[in-house]
Amino acid sequence: MTEADRLARAALCRLTEPGDSRLAALVAELGAEQVRQQLLDERDLHGLAGEISGRLASLDPAGDLERADRRGIRFVIPGDDEWPESLNRLRWAAPIQGRGGVPLGLWVTGPLDLADQSRAVAIVGSRSCTSYGTGVAAEIAAVTARSGLAVVSGAAYGIDQAAHRGALGASGVTIAVLACGVDRVYPKGAESLLAHLRDHGAVVSEAPPGCAPLRLRFLSRNRLIAALSSGTVIVEAAYRSGALNTANWTSSLDRVLMGVPGPVTSAASQGVHGLLRNGAAALVTCGEDVLELVSPSGEHVMAPARGPERPTDSLTIRQRQVLDAVPLHRGAPADSIARTAGIGLIEVRTALGRLAALGLVESGESGWRLTSEVRSA
Amino acid sequence: MPVATARAVSLQGTVGHLIEVQVDLSPGTVKTVLVGRPDAALNEARDRCRMAIANSWVDERLEWPATRRITILLSPSDLPKRGTHFDLAIAISVLAAADQVPAESLGHAVFVGELTLTGGLRSVPGVLPMAMTAASHGYSRIFVPEPQANEAALVPGLEVLGMRSLSQVVAELRGVAVPEAAPVAPVSGNPLLAWRGQDRSADLDFVDVFGVADARFAIEVAAAGGHHLQLSGPKGSGKTTLAERIPSILPDLTSEEALELAAIGSLAGVVEVETGVLPGLSQRPPFFAPHHSASRTSLLGGGAGRVRPGEISRAHAGVLFLDEFPLFGADVIEALRQPLESGEVTIARGEESATFPARGLVVLAANPCPCGDFHPYARENRCVCPETRRRDYRRRITGPLADRIDITRHVLPVQPHEMSDPLAAPEPSARIRARVELARARQAERYAGRSWRLNGQAPGPSLRSEWPLAAEVQALLDEQLYAGRLSRRGATRVHRLAWTVADLAGLARPGPEELGTAIRLRTGEPLSHRSLDREVLG
Repeated sequence: MTEADRLARAALCRLTEPGDSRLAALVAELGAEQVRQQLLDERDLHGLAGEISGRLASLDPAGDLERADRRGIRFVIPGDDEWPESLNRLRWAAPIQGRGGVPLGLWVTGPLDLADQSRAVAIVGSRSCTSYGTGVAAEIAAVTARSGLAVVSGAAYGIDQAAHRGALGASGVTIAVLACGVDRVYPKGAESLLAHLRDHGAVVSEAPPGCAPLRLRFLSRNRLIAALSSGTVIVEAAYRSGALNTANWTSSLDRVLMGVPGPVTSAASQGVHGLLRNGAAALVTCGEDVLELVSPSGEHVMAPARGPERPTDSLTIRQRQVLDAVPLHRGAPADSIARTAGIGLIEVRTALGRLAALGLVESGESGWRLTSEVRSA
Repeated sequence: MPVATARAVSLQGTVGHLIEVQVDLSPGTVKTVLVGRPDAALNEARDRCRMAIANSWVDERLEWPATRRITILLSPSDLPKRGTHFDLAIAISVLAAADQVPAESLGHAVFVGELTLTGGLRSVPGVLPMAMTAASHGYSRIFVPEPQANEAALVPGLEVLGMRSLSQVVAELRGVAVPEAAPVAPVSGNPLLAWRGQDRSADLDFVDVFGVADARFAIEVAAAGGHHLQLSGPKGSGKTTLAERIPSILPDLTSEEALELAAIGSLAGVVEVETGVLPGLSQRPPFFAPHHSASRTSLLGGGAGRVRPGEISRAHAGVLFLDEFPLFGADVIEALRQPLESGEVTIARGEESATFPARGLVVLAANPCPCGDFHPYARENRCVCPETRRRDYRRRITGPLADRIDITRHVLPVQPHEMSDPLAAPEPSARIRARVELARARQAERYAGRSWRLNGQAPGPSLRSEWPLAAEVQALLDEQLYAGRLSRRGATRVHRLAWTVADLAGLARPGPEELGTAIRLRTGEPLSHRSLDREVLG
């Protein structure tokens, strides 16, 4: 990509709100330079121009990029080696609440190369969560991170931070996507987390450095979290939680949407339960469940969960019938057992032999009875 | 003067009675009688005193009035008296009656100590509460065995004379030079065993505990409001690790509490009487963790002869940790109900009844099942206990006692990723303690002039009438009540807990959020993350 394209994109993203779907469509159609030029020429592009062309002229994108570079912030645009291809899918996704489209570029800080993180899992949830949720989020993050997948989240209180911390605890890779500039700290309590990620992971935003975390920017930010990941896990979300917006984006991008159930009485899980009930999300209970769903087919297959094996599992129905008829303590002869079981004597004899071989019955003076292990079980 | 009176103290539990030891010397059959309901050990005082006097010198040999009929009365006479500490008062009283010490010098003094045949003065248990009794009855001097002078000196406004022998006491009373005397060995020996880590509890700090945010918060609430707590969790989940660190977040003892504790320790005979050193009063709250084989007597108090305070009283103002609680004897569990509710233990025996304070924080720890592997919230259950045994086991903690436990918390083992989280910064005890102190200060202000200090001790009716929940908060609580999720008593406990949560957060009164947290603390549900996140609260 040309430097002119980079400058045009830097200027445009300083000019407009992140995730402006109209601008994204124009850029996709005409190219960033062309859009910038036309805006500068005050050509009315679908009513977008108006007063903003004046502002556009006064911007200094080259200075912006240079200042960012001095602070260790790079501006990654489509066509760059580091550009995460997974974001291109946004071009065909319908806007949600007026937000959408491929971002003009990503402002990134931290040593991680985004292009290497083509397989990532987003773990998000409510800020007003419970310790159950933070515990599960951290555990799932730790398991997925340990198997080499990056964990993507939003650095918010609660589930988001727990997910980042779980990944870090497993010495894994984690990416924070912010609604404000990557040089800003929001929320305040995420200061040490963000500082750590700037040194060891990656902090990403669509908004240029210095931008404030305005409320609507979280909506466009959520689309990036969903788009950067192969799948999204919603851990705890009440109705109206912002995490459900991320869930919507995940679905509309045809990525895997997963939900962790909580107690049915818990308000903090109602939103997730809604997703699970209407079939939008797959139910996951642990990191292994998540790996199975987001990995290439056949890579992380889970053994079906089952209870412990019992010696009686291998018995035929007839043999079990005989076993049921064998008395507890006082032995009984085979013909009496045959009467109780309602099965022919010869078949009972064969069955008793098999049961004795499995250590389920024993024969004593008065006949057959259950062994002590079976009695106490 | 054939009649003289000296004073001693008789103890029943922590209640001290001032005893007048009156001696009359009269002509008649030579005999020494001791009346006033002495026990066997006290009855033998006659012989100890006679020989101690005969073997003591002050300028000249002291003399036992061997030619007289000696009547010794311990008054009030209807009060049963036990112990050997009356010896000194008896001997002094005899000597005063025989004009060997000036009778007027006994007026403002109380005498405590056991005598040896050579006239030495030996240590006895309970010197501190005796000194407290003497002071409260307006006496200004107390004679005690030398090793225990420090103990008695804890009581303000009392002149303490630590003496080694009867002759020293006599010389002091006569106002002549006090003779030298050999130090008398204390009754019980020095600790024979000392082991590494004996005092390790002093170094325990929450800074070393990773994860378990829920349990940490529950413990903070328990400490701030004096709420009894139950920790349940599979073996190895860190219940003991958490419990033994609770004293580190409790505020220093008030001087009142420290004195109460020293008095209890003195009665139990363990206030360093052995070594003769009382290192001032300990300011740190005590921690006691009796083994589950402990008897009812050792836990609650009592015993043959003298009524001794139990571990629950020695943990007064501190922490009583009962690990593996369901393994404690059924009678012990049953007997804990009264002290948990009232904050004191009363041991009634015949005509004697002793009351000891028991306002410690009770922390129960229980495995969820006999094998210790069951957990209701664990994904994988390795528990092998049959359901019936599990139910039997659980029944021991539920029932009437469970209603007296304010907070229930399930503890899960710390996960590896929590241990290696580079950003994990477990809060040190000192910071938690600062919050607990603030919360307690708020309670002290609110409950000024009342007989209780903490939310956990506040009576339900006063709480409801004077410190009610806001109408909309009460409505939320009623909802739980009608839904059958809380008992009436449970609702009162939630009310108390809500106040403590509000006190910790520095709020004027509990709101819906605090009530929610209180209900979760009570029912054992996971806590809301917001209540755990200190950074949000600022």
